[in-house]
Amino acid sequence: MDSPVTIAACAAITALGDGLPPLERALVHNTGGLRPCARFSGRNYQTDVVGAVPDELWNQLREETPGYTNAPAFLLANHVLRQLRRNVTGRLGLVLSTTKADILALERVQAGQPCSEAARRHILPGQLAADLAAANDIRGPVRCVSVACVSGLLALQTGAELLLHNAADAVIVVGVDLLSHFVLAGFTALKSLDPDGCRPFDKDRVGLSLGEGAGAILLTHGVVASVSDAAVDVFPAAGTAATTPNLPLCIAGWGSSNDANHLTGPSRDGSGLALAMERALRKAGRTPGEVDYVHAHGTGTLYNDTMEALALRRIFGERIPPFSSSKGMLGHTLGAAGILETILCVLAAQTDTVPGTPRLRTPAADMPASLQLTPQRGVKLRTLLKINAGFGGTNAALMLEQPKP
Amino acid sequence: MSDIIVKAASYLGPEGYGNSRTGLKPWPDALAQAVARGEVPDTSWATLFSSSCPRFGRMDALSRLGLMAVELLGVDFSALPERDRDELGVCLETRFGCLAADLNFLETLSPSVFTYTLPSTAIGEICIRHRLRGPVLCLIPANDNEQQALEQARARLRDGGAARCLCIGCDALAEPAVRRLGQRAGTQAGALYLGPDEHPSPSLACDGPLLELCRRLCVRAEIQYKSG
Amino acid sequence: MQQLIEELKQKIVAALNLQEVKPADIKEDEPLFGAGLGLDSIDALELVVLLERDYGIIVKEQEVARKAFTSVRALATFIEEHRGQCSKGA
Repeated sequence: MDSPVTIAACAAITALGDGLPPLERALVHNTGGLRPCARFSGRNYQTDVVGAVPDELWNQLREETPGYTNAPAFLLANHVLRQLRRNVTGRLGLVLSTTKADILALERVQAGQPCSEAARRHILPGQLAADLAAANDIRGPVRCVSVACVSGLLALQTGAELLLHNAADAVIVVGVDLLSHFVLAGFTALKSLDPDGCRPFDKDRVGLSLGEGAGAILLTHGVVASVSDAAVDVFPAAGTAATTPNLPLCIAGWGSSNDANHLTGPSRDGSGLALAMERALRKAGRTPGEVDYVHAHGTGTLYNDTMEALALRRIFGERIPPFSSSKGMLGHTLGAAGILETILCVLAAQTDTVPGTPRLRTPAADMPASLQLTPQRGVKLRTLLKINAGFGGTNAALMLEQPKP
Repeated sequence: MSDIIVKAASYLGPEGYGNSRTGLKPWPDALAQAVARGEVPDTSWATLFSSSCPRFGRMDALSRLGLMAVELLGVDFSALPERDRDELGVCLETRFGCLAADLNFLETLSPSVFTYTLPSTAIGEICIRHRLRGPVLCLIPANDNEQQALEQARARLRDGGAARCLCIGCDALAEPAVRRLGQRAGTQAGALYLGPDEHPSPSLACDGPLLELCRRLCVRAEIQYKSG
Repeated sequence: MQQLIEELKQKIVAALNLQEVKPADIKEDEPLFGAGLGLDSIDALELVVLLERDYGIIVKEQEVARKAFTSVRALATFIEEHRGQCSKGA
């Protein structure tokens, strides 16, 4: 790619709190934010252990955004979007990634309960995207991507494509999803939740954990001239700085695929996810041997993690690079997952840290040996592969690289 | 761009249903009212097609409609070499998505209904039926005059992401979602099959809303089509 | 037992929206999953819901479900063995 698509800045709000520093601390210390949440206790769900944005933060968001106090999807997404939008000039586009937008509003509407006009509008993801763009004076192209758990990576791909086709000078990609009765009940119906909290790739894993949050990534084409780095916390806080400075990561390639096999069947042999990885590698002009690290999907369900190990073997043979999952840190944040997990890759590269897998105790016997239980410091990560898989047999992969200095 | 054309187009809507070869036909009485109400009844597939569609009965309206739009194209994807099917992109565009399934799930808490509360499942059903493993995308526009999927498909074809692309626009809005959102009920879907100009070139011999749809979409996306 | 088998065939067709299959078409000893009727893991979950709702049997372990669902006859046998119990683990 002649002029790379650069990740110029990031912002996040998650179960760990506001901003990047809590994410970076959790990355370095291999900790996480899954805990019982009163919102979901005492109901018929499989569990109330989730990655919830803390109540104090919700109060803060409501105070800072009058007019949208009862529109939680907007509150989360707008919070991260406006941080990045502040200093961008030129034609700015927006890509929103979400699976259920303001699902809480749909619940209220269905139950005949009061619902603000804004929240009702945000039941439709396309309208949520339009409102976010309008509220932040974004006049370039606006897209809303909704493809289950691969939405985030496909949204980043869509943003990169907008830049490469010269439809915008910069694109902010925002991922958001909420914890809700709908989602808790849904995954309970599928019996996919771990009552105690997920353990990705573990021999005793029994299911996933859900999470909520929002992440935003500012993509620019080539050199970032018009963004003030001091305005947003992209680079590591004091104490975790890398030994030698690292350049911002670029999106070097991407790929997606469909299994075309069965919607949820156990016969997923990893070939679909492998195909997505292959496409990302090919687009980036890289061979598997050049990948330093893979940030897996790793939900902690029996089937996903087994399938993912198969996919990694298909691509990398016996030389699988270090890989890990962060679902034990934030839970599965659905439409926000691809964005938040890419941000974790950015933080990993910035701090020379190979991430561990929070909540993993004992790797399952069929897991490759390069599965990272705990973080490893002082490792330069130049080429990272981020992967996700989702309902309907969808798969996506993103190649991230530090450009040559 | 001159080597990418619309190879087939299909349409299902208030005016009728059809494809670029056969033109638009009025709905059979059995389905006309349901379509106007934004529903896609169990009997829809068997009414329109002689082929079977396993598990049509458990699918939600979006998946049913998407499958029907693709089937209506009249293209035998199984005749394509596996390599071409592997690289065939699928782009879905829907404003209202799985709203009906969402409300159904809140009512029933059924696991199979939950599976259909994501548009990726509709994409999955299309890919499973026609064994397509290509790149996928689903876009949710704010308004219904944007044709984002087509723009995306065109861009993907242009930059080599896929050699062929299925572009599907799909919406079914029925009770109770209609009432809850203050929208109009209805069913509308269209599919375009984009690919290389292979000899002998197919031509779009259609008229009425179908031709108008193609014309509007293709001109906007600067894709060539040949009208017979 | 035979009455339960016939009843189950009807409930399976209804619960799983099997349009192309009539209850009489289902053979009680043919596999339900994979080959035979070709049901998938989502159907298995619906059958678990059916067991709880119509027969008061709660299935907590996937392994239990897997064995119970090998055929209609296996399912009927499972129901006869556990009907009336309030819950069943592994």
